[in-house]
Amino acid sequence: MSIVSKETIEVIAQSIGIANLSADVALALAPDVEYRMREVMQEAIKCMRHSKRTVLTTDDVDIALNLRNVEPIYGFTSGGPLRFKRAVGHKNLFYIDDKDLDFKDVIEAPLPKAPLDAAVVCHWLAIEGVQPAIPENAPVEVIAAPSDGKKFEQKDDGLPVDIKLPIKHVLSRELQLYFDKIIDLTVNRSDSALFKEALVSLATDSGLHPLVPYFTYFISDEVSRGLNDFNLLFALMRVVWSLLQNPHIHIEPYLHQLMPSVVTCLVAKRIGNRLADNHWELRDFTANLVASICKRFGHVYNNLQTRLTKTLLHAFLDPKRSMTQHYGAIQGLAALGPNMVRLLIVPNLEPYLRLLEPEMLLEKQKNELKRHEAWCVYGALLRATGQSIYDRLKMFPALPSPPARVFRTNGRVVTSPPNKRKANNEHLEQQPSLKKIATDGPMDVVPTNLSSNMQPPETKGPVPSTDPDMGPSSSSRQIPHGNISDSRDRKGKGDSRALKMSAVLTQTWRDDLKSGHLLVSLFELFGESILPFIPAPEMSLFL
Amino acid sequence: MEEEEIEKAVIAYLKKKGFKQTELAFQEEHHQHQNQQTKNSSSSISSSTDPDIAKHILSFSESENIPARYHEGYSKLRSWTYSSLDLYKHELLRVLYPVFIHCFMDLVAKGHIQEARNFFNSFREDHEMMHLRDLQKLEGVLSPSHLEEMEFAHSLRQSKVSIKICQYSYELLLQYLHKTQSITMLGVINEHINFQVSPGQPASISDDAEVVTLIGSSQDDANQINQKEIHWGLLEGSLEERLEKAGGLLSDSEKAEGEVKETDTEENKKRSAEGGKQGSSIKKLKKDKVVGAAGKTARPEANAVSMAPRVKPELALPVMPTEVEQSILEDLRNRVQLSSMALPSVSFYTFINTHNSLNCSSISHDGSLVAGGFSDSSLKVWDMSKLGQQAATSIMQGDNDLAPTEQILGTSGGKRSYTLFQGHSGPVYSATFSPLGDFILSSSADSTIRLWSTKLNANLVCYKGHNYPVWDVQFSPMGHYFASSSHDRTARIWSMDRIQPLRIMAGHLSDVDCVQWHINCNYIATGSSDKTVRLWDVQSGECVRIFIGHRSMVLSLAMSPDGQYMASGDEDGTIMMWDLSSGRCVMPLMGHMSCVWSLAFSCEGSLLASGSADSTVKLWDVTTSTKVPRSEENKSGNTSRLRSLKTLPTKSTPVYSLRFSRRNLLFAAGALSKSG
Repeated sequence: MSIVSKETIEVIAQSIGIANLSADVALALAPDVEYRMREVMQEAIKCMRHSKRTVLTTDDVDIALNLRNVEPIYGFTSGGPLRFKRAVGHKNLFYIDDKDLDFKDVIEAPLPKAPLDAAVVCHWLAIEGVQPAIPENAPVEVIAAPSDGKKFEQKDDGLPVDIKLPIKHVLSRELQLYFDKIIDLTVNRSDSALFKEALVSLATDSGLHPLVPYFTYFISDEVSRGLNDFNLLFALMRVVWSLLQNPHIHIEPYLHQLMPSVVTCLVAKRIGNRLADNHWELRDFTANLVASICKRFGHVYNNLQTRLTKTLLHAFLDPKRSMTQHYGAIQGLAALGPNMVRLLIVPNLEPYLRLLEPEMLLEKQKNELKRHEAWCVYGALLRATGQSIYDRLKMFPALPSPPARVFRTNGRVVTSPPNKRKANNEHLEQQPSLKKIATDGPMDVVPTNLSSNMQPPETKGPVPSTDPDMGPSSSSRQIPHGNISDSRDRKGKGDSRALKMSAVLTQTWRDDLKSGHLLVSLFELFGESILPFIPAPEMSLFL
Repeated sequence: MEEEEIEKAVIAYLKKKGFKQTELAFQEEHHQHQNQQTKNSSSSISSSTDPDIAKHILSFSESENIPARYHEGYSKLRSWTYSSLDLYKHELLRVLYPVFIHCFMDLVAKGHIQEARNFFNSFREDHEMMHLRDLQKLEGVLSPSHLEEMEFAHSLRQSKVSIKICQYSYELLLQYLHKTQSITMLGVINEHINFQVSPGQPASISDDAEVVTLIGSSQDDANQINQKEIHWGLLEGSLEERLEKAGGLLSDSEKAEGEVKETDTEENKKRSAEGGKQGSSIKKLKKDKVVGAAGKTARPEANAVSMAPRVKPELALPVMPTEVEQSILEDLRNRVQLSSMALPSVSFYTFINTHNSLNCSSISHDGSLVAGGFSDSSLKVWDMSKLGQQAATSIMQGDNDLAPTEQILGTSGGKRSYTLFQGHSGPVYSATFSPLGDFILSSSADSTIRLWSTKLNANLVCYKGHNYPVWDVQFSPMGHYFASSSHDRTARIWSMDRIQPLRIMAGHLSDVDCVQWHINCNYIATGSSDKTVRLWDVQSGECVRIFIGHRSMVLSLAMSPDGQYMASGDEDGTIMMWDLSSGRCVMPLMGHMSCVWSLAFSCEGSLLASGSADSTVKLWDVTTSTKVPRSEENKSGNTSRLRSLKTLPTKSTPVYSLRFSRRNLLFAAGALSKSG
């Protein structure tokens, strides 16, 4: 409990040559030693305060000991605070790194330079309350966003305050013109070639930093007002992209203002007025934008990515949100990387698809537009999960010899644990398929005359041309069975060639167990359409 | 059943107390009684015993298990308090802390050290926010003897804590304690807490600042002391007053201008002193003059000062030479009027190459001299007016006797830009300039105070009186007298011509860390490590006010120029404004992140400047706070705000001292610390 334990006293006693210190003495001494130590430290801290310091030095302890009429401890005076090092493996154990010095080296070393004598220098810290920007003063935040002044006024509500004007800083005439021009281009002529030039300029010019607060303000302002104007939004996002590219701009302080606008463009319910507006494209673009921001500033703002994913996941999981919002959320998450997809989307995939499916069907969803949207979401999901699985599989050591199929199957035969897993997989594969039937089942109740046979409804409805990936799911049920039986057949043909590969494969399967399951579940959810995402050799591994 | 338990309890009690005979007798009788009872089992005598008493007796039997009872009792009380009604909760929460520390000390006193530790650690977190420092102190108490020895614990044990509580909260608490039979807790509360039950609604949370601080001397004493009358007014016949009168006479501007011309020559003389920054300072002076002239039109503002009552000096004050008086008058006339809209200019003196050895600094009234006290026992004085010219005439001086030889050495050395004063034999903790800048006082860990002359560059007197390091020394506003404060828990008043102290102020429970004179020289204020500030009457040596509210050691003090208010800064960065007449805190000023080393009021009292270890100078608007309640004088003066006007960050330079010149130019000094 206490800092100084009985054992400590015993150890100290031994170290000064008292071998037979009785336990009672140690027990009585320990609390008193601790008390004295605390007392000395209390006095030392007082001395530190009166020396107008905030770090305790050995001198303070010496003076404190002096105050208590105790001989000071010699040999520790260092002129500055001691540098403690943490002992590796212990949480609360510190030591002073005290190097051995060779006397010869010390004697032979040239005399150190005499330290500079104390001196006083004088400067103006403030002139009539304003700090002059001179090197002697701490660097002041020169640029203050225009919104800062506003905030200040709002803060002191009700109380009579002399209103503090926002800090003035001079914006050169050229910069003002430049800003006006960019704004004009963004708002009115975002499709002109000139705008592209402007974007390049924004991404490369070095002198733009003073304008950043204005751009930030402009963007957030326009986004909140112009959600109907698709072209404007796209132009604004391009401006953001360019600003982010610019290596001379220090954009971090303004991110918190930018992020809401950017996320809005990603998951807004409606973007643009007309049907013709390809808001999917804008969402895709913004998703990439968000991902790049996260990648670049994630380490500066620790909670940036967590907050973002939370927002997106929330949008994704809320069934009341519109399809467009879901699409944006999925794209955003997908852009953040395959890991995000695996962690956040995949676990929710099955219930989500169950919700999505009726939306995609002609029978259920009569509205052409809505159905189209649902298909888009489906495509996005597919792409996201597909990419995540691809990424996962890519990590495996590249396996030699293209006609790998035989090899692999052989491998499984030779090594027994994979075989077991294989069996598991088979089991899994079959079971989900059954489940699939079960989920499909209720749909068949829909009074269509073809419902009697167990063919999945997808094959019946005219599959919208927008999603060519989507294969008939009937095959999804058959193919695995076929493959499995195939591989079984080939087991017999196994030969010794595979032996050398077996080690590699064991490794692969070990890593793979998860992704194997993942793939299986994805396969069962999406059907064959997931297959194009799996690189050929790897795919064969699983089939 | 019950009866049996009671009997067991009685036996246990007798055993514990060592009443062997009685025990035997009791047991014998008990056996007989039991036999009897088996005979006529229907008749029971036990029914007559009061169940309440039974429980009381029972509780004695558990006395073997004291620690557990404390622990259980406290944790029950705690959970009850936390689940009590919101309206009364904060009042009841106040009870927890004293109960907690007294439970702990009871356990220690009874010798259950290990259990006390367990108890302390399990509930420590609750109070860490408010009372961290106290807890850290108490943590070290490990044996009953420490309780006696440690001043803080001892005073806590001796005194009762006063807690203001409303009628209903009080009833709630009593009901709870009775209902749950928590005798232990009831005992602790009865023994150590003094409830001041007030009828009506519970007090608002914001008022509890004084309640939460536990001090050695009881609240009652403090209240009694604070009843004493004090005369906080300004001195009769002060220069300010004379200026007011003169200003009244000079109704037309022509005359004023004439006066300015007349004193121009004098100003030229002063320039070298006021300056130090050559061109810029001259410009500054001119600017000052212009604003000062404009300030005259803003007379009503200045009238606020003259409204303060006048008091007669209790001390025989030194007579000021007329030419000095003239120059001060001139300064006063040219003073810049500061307000929340007109912030002062700040001139910063940075000490470089100090290698962490600068302990204190001081700036003379006109800013021309800067002194630094070092931990190598030296005191160094820089003459800022000579700084640019690389003074060849700077003289190093040791003791009086050595003066001639030292002088030669000094001139031949030539390079040194400062005057070195050597004489102390321990770190120099404080230095102060006399109002006229001709003397410096320094205090040191060698328990002496030394008087130095800046004209002769020599040590004049060594004042020995304190027994321990002297933390602070301050010249009175009129000079001649000075006050010192020390680790020996006293503050002392001295005059320059006597080597013995004139008064010794004793009463603080811990080190007296800082001292400050009241503007009318009749009082001094002292800040201490016992977290209180006291005001003492210089003439009688009595304590006339205790200001309770700080949560850590008080490091700096400042008196407002109208004499009514005082500001104190502590180790945590909190600054408190006190009303001297009522002894109450006007408002705490939060904002600094670390120790407040220095405080200064502007000359007309509208601004407060604070310098801190967090490397900032902050300017606070204190006009609203101080003037409003005085004119309205109602209790709801809480509307007054003290707000931070401006934060001036320095370049990793903790601010050691601050000083407003008579013309309201703010000087600040600090040592550049590389580690930041």
